[in-house]
Amino acid sequence: MFGKEFFVNRYRLLGWEFRDVALKQAIRINTVNVKGADVVGRLKGLGVELEKVPFLHNGYWVARSDFSVGATVEYLLGYYSIQEAAAQIPATLFTDLKDKLVLDACAAPGGKTVQLADLMDNTGVIVALDVNKQRLEALTNQLERCRVKNTVVYQLDARHASKLGLKFDRIMLDVPCSGNFATDREWFKRRTLRDVERNARLQRQILTEAVKVLKDDGEMVYATCSLEPEENELNIDWALKNLGLETVEINCYGEEAPTEVFGKRLDDSVKRCRRIWPGKTQGFFVCKLRKRR
Amino acid sequence: MAETSVVKNFARLFGVELPLDNRFVVERGGCYFLLSEKLKDLTEKRGGWRHAGTYLGKVKGESFQPSFPLLFMIAEKAKNRIVVDDKSAWLFVCGRDIFKEGILKIEGSSEKGNCTLIFNRHGECLGYGKIVKNLNKLKSGLAVKNLLDVGDFLRRERHPANQEA
Repeated sequence: MFGKEFFVNRYRLLGWEFRDVALKQAIRINTVNVKGADVVGRLKGLGVELEKVPFLHNGYWVARSDFSVGATVEYLLGYYSIQEAAAQIPATLFTDLKDKLVLDACAAPGGKTVQLADLMDNTGVIVALDVNKQRLEALTNQLERCRVKNTVVYQLDARHASKLGLKFDRIMLDVPCSGNFATDREWFKRRTLRDVERNARLQRQILTEAVKVLKDDGEMVYATCSLEPEENELNIDWALKNLGLETVEINCYGEEAPTEVFGKRLDDSVKRCRRIWPGKTQGFFVCKLRKRR
Repeated sequence: MAETSVVKNFARLFGVELPLDNRFVVERGGCYFLLSEKLKDLTEKRGGWRHAGTYLGKVKGESFQPSFPLLFMIAEKAKNRIVVDDKSAWLFVCGRDIFKEGILKIEGSSEKGNCTLIFNRHGECLGYGKIVKNLNKLKSGLAVKNLLDVGDFLRRERHPANQEA
């Protein structure tokens, strides 16, 4: 079970007609280091055409640039990060991040960690985990470049997060996933349903561990850049039924997630999740969860 | 608690007395980190971390390699500073040295052998270098040898094995 036709047909069954997508690069201003207007003005002065992302506070699409926006002095000074527009959504879904104890469970390469630190104004503590040593180096470089002050990094598999003996106010689960064709031209050639199911199992293990370390009144955001329901709606439906979690209403870019997937009826509250089909952004899925009260 | 003299001595190269509180500086594998009270409390109870708080720099062999956050802390009060024009600023970020022709302003030491921070015309610290000729007498040519610049972040990405912290 693989190939473009197989996956495209699945998307059709979920209500989306496949079309190729030319993604626009996006940046996010690190407002803790600079005023947004200042850096936008400076980039414009360098000839970079920016377009405000309407559904993000500090996000801009790079409409045109004759050089890499990842090699400007402004970038090197940590004034902005290169972060795909949909990927900027999850961190904004938490309420009241300042002074909180936050877990970024699959943190590398650090785009969301830096964004969380920015939203927290460098207060509180972020515990950032990742299992891969090389990716952790990318993460620590990002933290240094963006002058993040409130983060501690451990090389630890998210499935063992309870070893830290901490309970968190907020948990970011930007889980490892199968990705999507909008960011990977070879996606349809490389991915099979077996890969998707393997990732979905890993994601359930991470969700299970995350619930153990979430405070009773805590919030958890789950996100993938996969279009496959096994990693998204089906996993959340499973979590609602097995982990004592409930979805929370969110107001962000994206469609209500389907509650019927390939003939299977899901918990009605799964519709509170947001599914983002590729178009203005890459493919994405995001939802907010808390312990059932 | 860590011995912070290595960090403070580095700051003194630029005429800065850095008010670092030893209680919140931690040394780990030759790397120095400045922690908040909350981070200090957490990391004391849970060891094994790789990075925490503000990375200050690393002792490698006989020398101390500063982080950029440390340079920015020093930059706020540095006496030794050189402001360069746009072209020199860009070349400096690309790893090149500073020539006298590109210098707009010199503050503090202009003596050969001293260290100085390099700023662009926006007042942003781009790195530091060592003055190689007495700048008061120098008319043109090589003035400051580049020792570290923010372009290092890009070079680390290209050569992951060279990464520091």
